[in-house]
Amino acid sequence: MIAVEGLTKVYGRRTALDHASFEVPKGEIFGFVGPNGAGKTTTLRILAALLEPTSGRAFVDGADVLQHPNLVHERLGYMPDFFGVYDQLTAVEYLDFYAACYRQPKARRQKIADDLLELVGLSDRRDQSVDTLSRGLKQRLCLARALVHDPAVLLLDEPASGLDPRARVEMREILKELQKMGKTIVISSHILPELTELCTMVGIIDQGRIRATGPVQDVIRQLTIGRRLRISVVGQREEAIAVLKPLPSIREAGMVNGAIEAAFEGDEATAASILQTLIAAGIKVSGFNQLDGGLEDAFLKATSENLG
Amino acid sequence: MRRIAVALWNPIVAKEYRSRMRTWRSPVAMTVYILLLGGLGWAIFSAMSASTHSAFNQGQAASFGQGLFIYLVLFQMVLLAFITPALTAGAISSERERQTIDLLFVTKLPSFSILWGKLLASMSFVLLLLLLSVPIFSLVFFFGGIELDQLAAAFLVTAVAALTLGIIGLACSTAFNRTLPATVAAYGGAFILLAGSLLFGLLFPTDIDPNATNAPAPPAVSYLSPVLPLVTIGTNAPVTWYGVRNSQGYGTSASCASPAYGPTTCVPLGPNGVPIGKGGLIRNPPQPSGTTIPSGLFSGWQYWQASVTMQLLVSLAALVLSALLLPPIRRLPWRKSPVSA
Repeated sequence: MIAVEGLTKVYGRRTALDHASFEVPKGEIFGFVGPNGAGKTTTLRILAALLEPTSGRAFVDGADVLQHPNLVHERLGYMPDFFGVYDQLTAVEYLDFYAACYRQPKARRQKIADDLLELVGLSDRRDQSVDTLSRGLKQRLCLARALVHDPAVLLLDEPASGLDPRARVEMREILKELQKMGKTIVISSHILPELTELCTMVGIIDQGRIRATGPVQDVIRQLTIGRRLRISVVGQREEAIAVLKPLPSIREAGMVNGAIEAAFEGDEATAASILQTLIAAGIKVSGFNQLDGGLEDAFLKATSENLG
Repeated sequence: MRRIAVALWNPIVAKEYRSRMRTWRSPVAMTVYILLLGGLGWAIFSAMSASTHSAFNQGQAASFGQGLFIYLVLFQMVLLAFITPALTAGAISSERERQTIDLLFVTKLPSFSILWGKLLASMSFVLLLLLLSVPIFSLVFFFGGIELDQLAAAFLVTAVAALTLGIIGLACSTAFNRTLPATVAAYGGAFILLAGSLLFGLLFPTDIDPNATNAPAPPAVSYLSPVLPLVTIGTNAPVTWYGVRNSQGYGTSASCASPAYGPTTCVPLGPNGVPIGKGGLIRNPPQPSGTTIPSGLFSGWQYWQASVTMQLLVSLAALVLSALLLPPIRRLPWRKSPVSA
């Protein structure tokens, strides 16, 4: 649905984007993660046909963003990180205006506006002036605006920035609803735990380069050093550690917060054989589970390679 | 036909009307405009009444009507020169400052429609001001001296000049990211159009060609200003007071002889009354008659026709420039496309 091939953008002497390539299949929620100035907004603006790349190509639903920007605009809804609203317009007039800009028939515009206001939970604010809405409500209205032409793809640049926790949860619920509707969503954010829960795919970008991309769990596995086990035993902690340490798959083992944590290299079968070894050694295992390194660890790993 | 209607009436126009008319600024601007224009008319009428102790005769009334008309059209032009750039100079730059321009660019509206919508909305307000001034101008007909076609021509010149100022403002708004420099540039453009072009005629007047068969005319650049055509429309008389070097000088600095047969000939005189120049007698230059331009690029045209044509050309150039500058990815003909990976 979205394909980026060797995208490069140079501003004077600064390379904002350096041969970035990734793909987002239809119906996925792609989390675009990176520190400030990494090139996330530049990538999204190129995808929205708002910025010309220095080199490379980008496609949205098969349409080349440089060759067919009008087709791209038909197929995507864009929500920038910073945006303004017009004074003197109510929420419903605001949506009606953008629906008209997308050439939606006049007879349908009222229904579109009402449906979208309901989707983003602003039905009770339909006649409120948009400049009097709170930031969270403006964000929701802007998301509704991006949907007035029912696009297949949504580009959301930091949609949760500046929102309070409740507004973030509400935004996340709306995005899940949109995923159920079959939309392909690209979302850039700094809030990694939320992305882990929300996204099906992730791309980590740093200094203009894509460091990792793919399904969330694959990227986490790819980037976190080995995998970790958390093992609870009834007594016998020293004995258990003594059993674990000589195993070739175990990289290290020790006590962390009253339980044994062991880093190992291998797959599910390796983890199972470690458990069997412990039981065979007479250790009374009361808990055995794998620790997820998480997107945050993966992100730190991916972006720390360039430090120093 | 439908495509033209869609292009002419795009959503930006409706949105701009709605936003503009919901603020207090618009009714205040209209009221101040009418008060200023009406106040000037009243002041001139009062001055005229005070200086006339008996009833007007027909000639005096016509002359008074003409004078009132010229003052009003010129003052209206000055007012619009202040108002119009302010309406359009922020049209695009304020969208950039508010960070709403990208949201327009990602819609199906072509960049030209955005420009056109902004222009149409602003110029509609100017048109509204012009319509509001019609009742004040109708007072001129109480005195006579001005025909309906003169009023129509004056309004056309004023409207086209305002349109030109509006499009120059729009071009400045497109070229500058911030509204303040765009506004300063738009007022600079308005000054050049209204006063600068007139000043050009004063600084670089047309030299009299002694062998010319037609009367000399002011330089064509000066027709860019609506002042010359507005005065010509009002006075309904040829321009003998501007833009031609020594056009008034032959009565005092030349000795002329009018033989019974043949053309009038003059000898140019120096400061002490002594004839100067080797050539001896020179032909007295023909004097302009009627309100047409006697010679030059627009020979035979009315001043207002030349002015409207030149302003429309400037407008077209400014509009094309704006359309080239506005899109986020500029498709300028001389630029290379990015290299594919």
